[in-house]
Amino acid sequence: MDASLVLNLVIFGPLLGMVLVLIAPAEMAKRITWLTSFVVFLLSLTLFPTFLDGSAFDGGYGENMQAVTQMDWINVVGLKIQYHIGLDGLSFALIILTTLVMWLAAWTSWNFNTWKVNKGAKGYFALFLLLETGILGTFASIDFFLFYIFWELMLLPMYFLIGVWGGAKKEYAAIKFFIYTLAGSVLMLVALLAMYYSSADAMNTSTGTFDLITYATNKAIQQNFNDPNHMFLGWNFGKVMFIFLFIGFMIKVPLFPFHTWLPLAHVEAPTPISMILAGVLLKLGAYGFLRVCYPIFPAAATELAFLVATLGVVNIIYGAFCCLAQTDFKRLVAYSSISHMGYVVLGIAVMTTTGFQGAMFQILAHGISSPMCFFLVGVIYDRAHHREINRFGGLWLQMPKYGSLATLGFFASLGLPGLCGFIGEAWVLLGTFNANKVHESMTWAPGMAVVAAFGVVLTAAYILWMIQRVYLGTERKEYAGFPDVTAREAAILVPFAVLAIFMGVMPGYTFQLMNGTIDQVLTLIKPMTAMAFGG
Amino acid sequence: MPQSMLASMWMPSAEELSQLAPLFALVATIVALLLAAMFTNRNRNVAASIVTLGAIGTGLLAWKRLQSGAPSWAGFDPNGMGPMLISDTFSQFFIVLACVFMLVVTAMWWLGQKSDLPDSEVHRMDATEFFVLFVGSAFGMSLMVSTTNLLMIILAVEMASLPSYGITAFRKKNRVAAEASMKYVLFGAITSAIMIYGASLLYGYYQTLDLATIGMKIAADMQAGATTGTLFLSVAVFAFMVGIAFKVSAVPFHFWCPDVFQGASIEVTTWLSVASKAAGLGLMLRVLSVIICAPSAFPVEAFKYVSLAIAIMAALTCTVGNLAAYRQMNLKRLLAYSSIAHAGYMLMAVAILWSPTDAGIGAAHPAFSAIVSYIIVYLLMNAGAFFVVAMVYWSTGSESITAMNGLIRRSPMLAVCMAIILFSLVGMPPLGGFMAKFYLLMAVWKGGLYWLVVIAVLNTLISLYYYARIVRAMILTDDGLPEISAPMSGQLIVAMCTIGIILTGVLLGPMKEIANNNASNLYAVVKSDVAPRTASAAGPSAATPNTENADTAPTIP
Repeated sequence: MDASLVLNLVIFGPLLGMVLVLIAPAEMAKRITWLTSFVVFLLSLTLFPTFLDGSAFDGGYGENMQAVTQMDWINVVGLKIQYHIGLDGLSFALIILTTLVMWLAAWTSWNFNTWKVNKGAKGYFALFLLLETGILGTFASIDFFLFYIFWELMLLPMYFLIGVWGGAKKEYAAIKFFIYTLAGSVLMLVALLAMYYSSADAMNTSTGTFDLITYATNKAIQQNFNDPNHMFLGWNFGKVMFIFLFIGFMIKVPLFPFHTWLPLAHVEAPTPISMILAGVLLKLGAYGFLRVCYPIFPAAATELAFLVATLGVVNIIYGAFCCLAQTDFKRLVAYSSISHMGYVVLGIAVMTTTGFQGAMFQILAHGISSPMCFFLVGVIYDRAHHREINRFGGLWLQMPKYGSLATLGFFASLGLPGLCGFIGEAWVLLGTFNANKVHESMTWAPGMAVVAAFGVVLTAAYILWMIQRVYLGTERKEYAGFPDVTAREAAILVPFAVLAIFMGVMPGYTFQLMNGTIDQVLTLIKPMTAMAFGG
Repeated sequence: MPQSMLASMWMPSAEELSQLAPLFALVATIVALLLAAMFTNRNRNVAASIVTLGAIGTGLLAWKRLQSGAPSWAGFDPNGMGPMLISDTFSQFFIVLACVFMLVVTAMWWLGQKSDLPDSEVHRMDATEFFVLFVGSAFGMSLMVSTTNLLMIILAVEMASLPSYGITAFRKKNRVAAEASMKYVLFGAITSAIMIYGASLLYGYYQTLDLATIGMKIAADMQAGATTGTLFLSVAVFAFMVGIAFKVSAVPFHFWCPDVFQGASIEVTTWLSVASKAAGLGLMLRVLSVIICAPSAFPVEAFKYVSLAIAIMAALTCTVGNLAAYRQMNLKRLLAYSSIAHAGYMLMAVAILWSPTDAGIGAAHPAFSAIVSYIIVYLLMNAGAFFVVAMVYWSTGSESITAMNGLIRRSPMLAVCMAIILFSLVGMPPLGGFMAKFYLLMAVWKGGLYWLVVIAVLNTLISLYYYARIVRAMILTDDGLPEISAPMSGQLIVAMCTIGIILTGVLLGPMKEIANNNASNLYAVVKSDVAPRTASAAGPSAATPNTENADTAPTIP
């Protein structure tokens, strides 16, 4: 099949599934959802070839996008919006990750009937599939307007999925998530308008563009966006737009101090939704940095590098300390996400090849390990109906298979060499440590790496301490009769486990999917960053 | 003497009269209503049927003129002093909208009279009076978008307002309704007075009632290098705009709105929430298109202040509307504040239209177009939202937010539609509300009022919370209220509104095209610089500009 057709099917397949779910009887909903997300996953796998043989990475940034569909959505006087989708190294791996996590999350929802709130199966699964369309569409969009539409499209299903089927404080968690994310979106909307009209000015045309690739590669637009004399309400245009976009994306990542919605949303959301939140939704923020902020506003990015890197390090350390203080199992995993996403931001901030690679790898690694961890928490919560770390103990003895898989999952999250988490963190730290060799003015980089490295120690501390309290120790009577993982649970855990090991032992295959585009981006922004550094 | 008077009297030709067919049809509907009441013993079903037929007929007549590519400027000019009435695509477009909305409101009346609430008692008894007033206000609103004559504008605004006061108080034994109507009358009277004051200043100074001529004279003054009189002109224009601001319930002329919306029966509230605002905005655009057409070539100092005043008014309107909606428990009152907020968004584009800067003039066309798009989507959203509230009200007798609790179980269809409508009101993509707002923000941005865009997006954020409160009541809360027995036809209307909202959000082309066409028709006039009406002399009876007058216009003291 034609690759662009496949990509369209991947994005809108879930929407078809949603229609089916709404038509079919309620008891069929979960089967349709499972099947839809599985088919979408398989379809997305057929996009691999051009990324494996490297032919997707010929030419410069955006010159050789794969699976492209481009047509006018609206084209009237003064306004041109395109339906423009496509894949490159930044988005491809994330598409695969999304389809995989969504499929496994659909499987996790299999026991929907046993949930505390188990009404409205149709609604749940319909929204679930709508969410999948939103996420995939965001990753594949090249037109910024389209990107924004898909970005917002994710909000509504998520609001309901948390708000209706969540835990005790679900309503508060849902609206907090909604308001925080919308706050980011409206800033993005302002930037969207500003960039559209500035691009029109730059190109001397009456109609601007929303094309993210054109923004990054068009010389005139780049000059205009990164011109230190281009003022917007008295401030530097590039910097203001970078900050607007950055805040919009950092809320999603989430970066300190906008992280407070996350523990709440994670804890209140049902297990599969937590898996999606941690595994995919947070990645959108980081993806936004890589796709929008850095290639388009390299000058501002360079000038603000210290600030961004600091935010990343704060996330790493602060998130880890928060983890140490948690007694709720799920909350601990939620805060660990905050800590891990800090590495991603740090890797992006230093703008070196190793740093970018590490950040991308960490995005994927965390996309594998965090849903696995949330699922592991879900498994034990289904049996024990509480999540108090201190009330557990000796679970490994009672549930040996579960215990083994759990240890693997948490070690992957910890960053144990040989598992996926290690590679990302190591690359980020290496890239940061060396950044002052690449960009002379980043004299602060080695120090930043040293501080961030302490995060690794803290991560080990909270994970090992948690494992000790939950899985090790003496058996407890109240958990005596707990059944080990069921076949379904094992089937969900094994793909995660296999990928965690595969990515840890042979990271080259993963790097291969994205390195080409990372090089293209860095080549593209090099002149601008060099200029901004005064070199 | 009588002989010569007769000769100088203007008699319209049949062709000219036919251009006013939609307006005549509305008047005929009123007459038919009154006559039918005499012969059918005030049968309410007959009355409602007549209104339905009248609305369809008027709508078709206007639609036909709209389709036939009616001249963009067909004025009725009895004595060479400028047209009294105008019939062009712009006015026909608004008349079609009004007719569609009349049908929605009549359908609501039809369904509502079946419930056994005290409101429907009144509806059953006094249907004729209700409908006469209702069609009367529709006629007034149609006039509002069909004229550029100062006197006609004032008459049209009064024609739209007076029946509205009456139907607001139609729940006769209801104290809230009486109070609301009283407030409405007082506010209406005061703002009318201010408006007439502004009009008289303009007339007194420029010695013409025709806005286009006034525009040309302003231009001539500017050309002659007159720099004085800025204060006079800004006061006159702003005072004139107050009357229109009252119609669109802009802050600080909005106090009537929540009380009237709460006090009036839901049909009336629905009608006023959309039609009154659409007509007000239509008139505003009309006034703008002629009064600023000529000076658009010159930076009129006065308009800078008017623009700023309207921009501040717009910012206040949406902020006050959104913040006040937070505390409301009554759905109609909440939607009233929401409608104030939406008027604020639309006024933002109006501020751009007054802006005499280069950026503002460049953004005039998108701003016109954006307002028209917004009105279309706003009509769909409010019709849908009020219909849901109405059906919940008929079934429960309550207008409180708590009446919505658990609607997803009690009537899944209504709840899903309402949720979509509410998120469209917030401005969430990919719904029509977002696209309309997006066009609007684009125009405002292009016009250079960046701070206004920031205020608009912040307001979007604020508004999320109170709209989400209704969603939360419908979907996240459930206190076991009984199911809603919503009439099928009502559900169908709500579903159609919802589909319309989704389509306007996803298929961007058609709506934008309609809006652009409308804007172009008006804008064609705006763009032609000094002699606005010569450019559109294609119209059957367009007046030739009275240039001598313009040249000898007195300099402003």
